[in-house]
Amino acid sequence: MIIFYKQINLNNIIIENTKNNFSNADISEPKFAINNESKNIYITASQGNFLNKDEVLLNKNVRFKSNDFSIETEKVIFNRDKQTAKSRTKSMFKSKNATISSDGFNIHDKGNIIIFYGNSNIILK
Amino acid sequence: MKLIVKIIIIFLISITLNAREIGETEITTEDGIEVFQNEKFYLLKKNVNIISDNFTLSADEVKINFDKSLYDITELDANGNVDFKSNEFEIIGNGNFLNFKVKIEKIKVEGEESQLITSDVKMFSDGFIEVNNLNGDFLLKGINSKLVNENIIIKAETINGKFSENNNEKEITYLEVIDKNISYIKNNDTEMYAKKINFDYNTSIIELIDDVIIIRDEEKITGDYGTLDTRNNSYKIKSNNQNKVKVIIQNNE
Repeated sequence: MIIFYKQINLNNIIIENTKNNFSNADISEPKFAINNESKNIYITASQGNFLNKDEVLLNKNVRFKSNDFSIETEKVIFNRDKQTAKSRTKSMFKSKNATISSDGFNIHDKGNIIIFYGNSNIILK
Repeated sequence: MKLIVKIIIIFLISITLNAREIGETEITTEDGIEVFQNEKFYLLKKNVNIISDNFTLSADEVKINFDKSLYDITELDANGNVDFKSNEFEIIGNGNFLNFKVKIEKIKVEGEESQLITSDVKMFSDGFIEVNNLNGDFLLKGINSKLVNENIIIKAETINGKFSENNNEKEITYLEVIDKNISYIKNNDTEMYAKKINFDYNTSIIELIDDVIIIRDEEKITGDYGTLDTRNNSYKIKSNNQNKVKVIIQNNE
């Protein structure tokens, strides 16, 4: 009976590990924030992987949201210490009456400066 | 084949997503955009094109200052190979640098072979051309500065003046023209040279100061100071030295 119970427990552990290996993510549904004096930028994604102590690779449905704007993309490296974010995947910025599409972006200076890379397109309404 | 169809569909969707609709402004760049949210400006880098219903601009780089949000443009600085056209203000221009202050409608084009052309007036300079559309003030400064309209040609290093709207036509109501070498004005049948030339619409007098030459028909008169009354087209020339006023009657036959 004891042996049988242990076997069941082992099976559960194996199933859990398999699940983690399959998603290959250190964090599921990670949430971070860039804070400055005037506004906060909230960051969400489907998955996150630690690259080192400070940097996290955010994967799939990565979204930056503040009161003024949002940015959506697929991959971002977020530095928790420096509060910076870099992406080289197609990105879409949206604010009131303005959209920017680009080949990636770099957020630094606590969200004050956003650099959009590559061929970029702005639509002002 | 399926792959080609997919690529075409994705391409068409991306075009549709980025396509400008009526009333919108589309800006494209080849090397990205830098947005400075606290300082309220953004930099558009490399081969910038701006297209809206009534305005087009192309330049190497553009800086745009905004007020509340990115669309709320207050000032535009375009740098390098600037070319623009405004249907609303009926103006086209080009130069190395353009500054446009949106709210006060002040435009400045700078650099060699700068041009600003409206429906009534053509302005050229290797220095800069500045026009305030709201109050009509204009200033051209630098070598090869020239202003041309239907009735007048002005060439000088500094051309400072004011346009006023009269019967839906722009008319020069004030003029101050200076050139350390010589300024030139051609008005109807009269050519005038002087170091400094002033005009006031209220008095209808063109005042010519230093190294004055007036040429009309076959008559050439030189002196130190002259006036031309635009109401009756009569002129007077004086000289500091009484013997110096000189009249040459040319015979073209």
